Amino acid sequence: MPRELKPKPAWMKPVFPWEQHALTVNGRTMAYIDEGQREGRPVLLLHGNPTWGFLYRDFVEPLKKAGYRAIVPDWIGAGFSDKPRIDSRYTLAHHIADLVSLMDQLKLRGFVIVGQDWGGPQGVGAALQRVERLSALIMMNTWLFTGLVGRFHASPRPWTTWHAPLIAQFFMKRHKVLSQAGPTLTSKKGLTQTEARAYHYIYDEPESDHIVLTWPRTIPMKEGDRGFADMLHIEKRLPELKDIPTLLLWAPEDNVFTIEYAQRMKELLPNAEGPILFDKAAHFLQDDRGPDLAKSSIDFLNRTVGAAIKG
Amino acid sequence: MEFVTPTAEELSYLRADPLLWEQELDVRPDVAEDIEKALGFRAGRAYWRSEHDHLYALELADTGHGRPSQATVYGFWERYEPRPPEHEIDADLFKFLLWFAGQTKSLDPADIELTATFAQRQTGGVRLTWLEGSILRTPDERFSNLPGFHYTPRYTEIEGLRMAYVEAGEGDPILMLHGEPTWGYIYRKMVPVLSQVGRVVVPDLIGFGRSDKPVEDNAYSYKAHCRWIRKFILALDLKNITLICQDWGGLIGLRVVSQLPDRFRRIVPMNTGIPNGYGMSEAFMAWRRFSQRQTFLDLRIGSGTLTPEEQNAYRAPFPSAAYQTAGLVFPRLVPIRPDHPGAYDNRVAIEKLRTLEIPALPIAGENDPITSGAVHFLRSIFKNVAPVVTIKNAGHFIQEDAGEEVAKRIVEWMKNGTA
Repeated sequence: MPRELKPKPAWMKPVFPWEQHALTVNGRTMAYIDEGQREGRPVLLLHGNPTWGFLYRDFVEPLKKAGYRAIVPDWIGAGFSDKPRIDSRYTLAHHIADLVSLMDQLKLRGFVIVGQDWGGPQGVGAALQRVERLSALIMMNTWLFTGLVGRFHASPRPWTTWHAPLIAQFFMKRHKVLSQAGPTLTSKKGLTQTEARAYHYIYDEPESDHIVLTWPRTIPMKEGDRGFADMLHIEKRLPELKDIPTLLLWAPEDNVFTIEYAQRMKELLPNAEGPILFDKAAHFLQDDRGPDLAKSSIDFLNRTVGAAIKG
Repeated sequence: MEFVTPTAEELSYLRADPLLWEQELDVRPDVAEDIEKALGFRAGRAYWRSEHDHLYALELADTGHGRPSQATVYGFWERYEPRPPEHEIDADLFKFLLWFAGQTKSLDPADIELTATFAQRQTGGVRLTWLEGSILRTPDERFSNLPGFHYTPRYTEIEGLRMAYVEAGEGDPILMLHGEPTWGYIYRKMVPVLSQVGRVVVPDLIGFGRSDKPVEDNAYSYKAHCRWIRKFILALDLKNITLICQDWGGLIGLRVVSQLPDRFRRIVPMNTGIPNGYGMSEAFMAWRRFSQRQTFLDLRIGSGTLTPEEQNAYRAPFPSAAYQTAGLVFPRLVPIRPDHPGAYDNRVAIEKLRTLEIPALPIAGENDPITSGAVHFLRSIFKNVAPVVTIKNAGHFIQEDAGEEVAKRIVEWMKNGTA
C-alpha cells in the first residue's frame, strides 16, 4: 500500500485542482494525477529539476478536452512523492525504473512521452524499456545524449560549484537557492505569488529537497560520471525510435538547453518535427508559454496518433 | 584555517549540532582526496574556532571506499542555551567553505562568493548579517537630560552593531565596564576623578545604554559579550589598560583580560567575580529567580536617593521591554553550575589569570550581598594583588553609592601601589 499523500493546501487548489493518486514504485510512494477518459491515449507529462507536476498545469485541461488521458507523475524525491535522503537512490537508472513501474501498474498502452529537462532522458529511458507501447514523443528543452555539454552545465561559475560536496549542502539545502529561486527567477513571464509558492512549498521542509542536489550531480558530462553509461545507452538506442512520431518544442532563450541541444536532438532523431520555437520563454517554458505549448502538442498528436487507441 | 584540539571536558558541556552533511563526499573523488591531503586523515575530526568564538568540527568518515566518503560539519553550542543567531553560523560556514574550496584543485573560492551573491538576490538567501528589524536603537532624545554625564557619545561598529562609549582625559586608557542593568552613566561620579590620571573610556555593553540592542534572546551569550568587548578594545587599539569593572563588567572584563593579557596594566574588580560554577551566593540565586520572572526591570540603582532625573537616566536606554532583552537575559547567562560551558570557560580563564603579574585591586561594597562572598575567591586568583578595599555604606552599585571615594582610592593605588 502506498502511504497516504500529504494533503494539498487549500491555497494551491485554485491553481492545481486535480486529485493526486499514489502508487508504490520500487518501494516508494509516487504521486501522480490521472485526468481524462480512461480510454483516451495516455500522455505522460514529465517534469525536471527543481519542479514538480505543477509545471504542466496548463496542459491538463486542454488534453482532457481533446480526449486524451493526462498523467502527471512527480518523480521520486520531488513534488508529493516520497523523498528519501539516500544519494544513491537518485540515479538516472532509478528514475527510469520508477516510471516503468508506473507504466506497468497503470497498464498504459499507446502512451505519449512529454518531457522537459530531466523529464526527457528519464521519460525516453523508460519508454525504451516499453518501446512496443510507445506511440509518440514530445521533447522540450532537454537532452538525450552524451558528448554535448553546454556552457551552463560545464561552467564552474556557478553551476558545478553549486553542487560540489558540502558547498551544495550549504547553498541548496541550508539556503534552498535552487528550489526557492529556480523557477521564480528564471521565468520570463513572471510567476504569480501563488505559483511561486507552489514551487517553494514542495521543498519547504528540511531534507525534502535532496533531489534538487542529486539531479545536478548526475548530469553525465564525462565518462565515469554517475549516469554516464545510462545516458549513453539511451543515446545508442535512439535509432529504434525512428518510426515514432516525434515533436521538438524549444525555447531558444533558455540558457541551459540552448538551441545547439535542439540541433543535436534533430541529428539523433532525424524524423522529428520541429523544433517549433517559442520566444518569451526560458528554461521552464511550460510556465512561460503553457497554453501555446499545449496547443502545439495536441495539434501534433491529433495529426499523428490521435486521442483514441486502436485495437 | 587554524585547527584546535578542544579538551574532552569542554566537549562534554556542549551539544553537537550537525549543520552540513554530505552522504557521499566521493561524488567528487578528486575533492575527497584533496581534503584528505589537507587534513592529513581519512576519518576523524578537525576542530576550529570561528571569529564568533563558536566551535566547529569537520568530521570525515570512510564508509569503505578507501578515501573520505562521508563528511559532516558540526557546530557546538552551549547545552542550556539556544542556538546562536543564524547569520553568525552562516558567516562561519561560509568562511569554512572558502577554505574548503581553497584546498581543492577543482573548486575556486571565487565561485562560492559568486554563488552567495546570487543567493542574496532572493528572500531567504544567504544572509551574513543581522536580519532587518532585529536590532533596536534607543532614540537619541531619550538621552537629552543626563545630570552629571555631559560627555559626547562616540561610536564604533562591532559585528554590525553600533557600540557607544564616552571618553575623557588623556594618557593610558582606563576602561570602565558597567554591569546589569545599568550603562556608562553609572560611572559619572568616577570619570571626573580618573580622567585626571588617564584617558577614561566608558563603553555601553551591547544591549545597554546608547549601544545597539538585538531583540532576540539568542543574540546574547556570555561569549558574545566577551567577544564584543574584546573587539571593542582591538577596534580602539587600547593598550596599557587599567580595567575598572563592576557586576557583569567584571564577568566579561576579567575573562577578556585572560584573552588579551598583554593589553592590560591594572585590574580593579568591584563587586564582581568570575564564577566557575561553584558556590553562587544565596543573594544572587534569589536575584536570578526574581529577575527571570520579570518582563521588565526597573530597579532602583544605588542605596541612596536618586533624583527623578537620575532615575530617568537609568531608564533612558529602555523605552519598552523590547529594548531590554540583554538585561532580562543577563542573570540567566551567569554560569551557576560546574557543567555550564561558561563555567568551564571561566575555569580556563582563571588558570590563565593565576599566571599573570598584572596588579589587581579588589574593591567590595560593605552592603553588597550579591558578590561579597566572591571577593575573597577573586583575590586568591591574582598573584600581584592588593588587600581588599571595603567601602563603608556602599551596596552593589558601588559607583552610585561611593563613586568619588572609590575613584580617589583607585587613583591613590595607581600612584602609590596602595589604596
